[in-house]
Amino acid sequence: MNFFSLSFVGAVCGALLLYYLVPRKYRWYVLLGVSLAFYLTGGLSAGLFLLFTAGTNYVGGLLLSRLNDRKGRLTPEQKKTEEKRIKALKKWVLVPVLLLNFGLLYMVKYWNFTAESVGKLIGTGSLPRTDWIMPVGLSFYMFQSVGYLVDCYRGKYPAEKNFLKFSLFVSFFPQMVQGPISRFDKLQPQLIPGNVWNSDNVKYGIQLALWGYLKRMLIADRAAMVVNQVFDTPEKYGGFFYAFAVLFYCIQLYCDFSGGIDITRGVARLFGIDLAENFKRPFFATSLADYWRRWHITLGSWMRDYVFYPLSFSKPFANLGRWARKHFKGKVGKVIPTAAATFVVYLIIGIWHGANFRYIAYGFYNGIILTSSVLLANSYSLWRKKLRIGEGSTWFRIFTVLRTTAIVFVGRYITRAPRLLVGLDMLRKTLFSPCLYQLRDGTIGNFGLSLTDYLVVAVGFGIVLLLEWKLEQGVDLQKELERKHPVLQWLCLFLPLVLLCIFGIFRGSGVRVEFIYQQF
Amino acid sequence: MKERLLNILTEACPEVDFATETALIDDGLLESLDIVMIVTEVMQEFGVELTVDDLLPENFNSADALLALIESRV
Repeated sequence: MNFFSLSFVGAVCGALLLYYLVPRKYRWYVLLGVSLAFYLTGGLSAGLFLLFTAGTNYVGGLLLSRLNDRKGRLTPEQKKTEEKRIKALKKWVLVPVLLLNFGLLYMVKYWNFTAESVGKLIGTGSLPRTDWIMPVGLSFYMFQSVGYLVDCYRGKYPAEKNFLKFSLFVSFFPQMVQGPISRFDKLQPQLIPGNVWNSDNVKYGIQLALWGYLKRMLIADRAAMVVNQVFDTPEKYGGFFYAFAVLFYCIQLYCDFSGGIDITRGVARLFGIDLAENFKRPFFATSLADYWRRWHITLGSWMRDYVFYPLSFSKPFANLGRWARKHFKGKVGKVIPTAAATFVVYLIIGIWHGANFRYIAYGFYNGIILTSSVLLANSYSLWRKKLRIGEGSTWFRIFTVLRTTAIVFVGRYITRAPRLLVGLDMLRKTLFSPCLYQLRDGTIGNFGLSLTDYLVVAVGFGIVLLLEWKLEQGVDLQKELERKHPVLQWLCLFLPLVLLCIFGIFRGSGVRVEFIYQQF
Repeated sequence: MKERLLNILTEACPEVDFATETALIDDGLLESLDIVMIVTEVMQEFGVELTVDDLLPENFNSADALLALIESRV
């Protein structure tokens, strides 16, 4: 069931009615039933993957919680002998469950890539492949569940004892397609108690969902037509139109992904559930590190808490730190382990996107830039002081925003192109072979977009940036709207619907229904 | 001990006033990279062991909070 079908809208309306009609203590059953029904529209095998993830992490969480309880009941004398034993037992629970989950993810998402690559390397052709189809949302709900497992290992909270309640946390339907990746202690207290009807939740939820639909159906789907044409047949275009297509891809990707998240959060809000934000005005980022704190926030914070920190404090990295201090003077020696952990994290983020050399290259690209910025932070600061450039100056801020946009822009050549070498060739031609004559020969009219369509993209994206600029300045748009005349408030609620009906792309040629991030 | 801690913090983030700030994490003044560097230096300087489990906002929101954590491990 996709977000753009009338059946989805109908299902949400039906679920909403049922949710608020049943007594509060049974409302979570409605959410669970709807979530499972939503998920099973993808087939029984999709349900089996979900059951596997929920089952392994549920059992793992319970065992870890029991071991934590046992540790908590130890007397001071028992602690000397038993603490180490319990710690070892906890690892014996954690590691196999992690291997089962990531092993499954590897088999579904990465095995065929490995089979082909290894086969080519040893010259035997591909190793045996699987024909498993990756179920919708596997990467997202698996990460979410593993986060819960590690939190149980750390004793952050007691494990959920009710399997059905835990299954709801894993399968809550609005976030199944592309996240956000939620944390158990933030989401579960909202899912289980049963939320009271609040008309503000419904109003805000509809506004947010409609805003998401606008971004996707007015802007992203139009931009997709340019992007698909150029990247599907790059041989027809020169460097200028490669840059043009990458610009449209940046617009498409943001409006598609953030639009989808807005729909997700809007639908959840109808049920009184506040899902985590996944975007925080990434086009206003002042560095690549800042960008990754604003883009796909829940993946970044997951990587920070479950990969970066454990890696940074692990024995190998501690040894690396000692070696680096011995061989490098000053701050460089101290930041090398952090820089190395940063590199590994961004490599993993690249690979998370998919089994393809271009995602590995994307990981390298981000990792190298971020690692360099960590290593060079002091020198950069010194040069800024020498040139008397104040960090708070407007021009410096504009420079850093443009610099970050350029870095992200280049990275998109790598991820959107069909293959890594094609992406690099397109980048090379952008710089050295722009073919500017194509601006005069009508190429711009060959993408299936009229002048009105280009205006819709330009004006639409301009409005997105304007509103985000307001948010960046600390304006609470929701509160501002509530201060306005009721007629204006209703207009803001219904105008998106009208715009969708007039300008929405309901099924354009070559425009897919699924979200871009759904494939990950 | 507090003086030594403030030196470590200032070296990691020279632009932050650690003597007065009480919402270092909540206000986004300390990022994950800063935290890792600070923790590594603290372990080296004070000979204490800190783990991932100690990386809670309440332990890092102020210099005093971090000092209390260190003193509890000495």
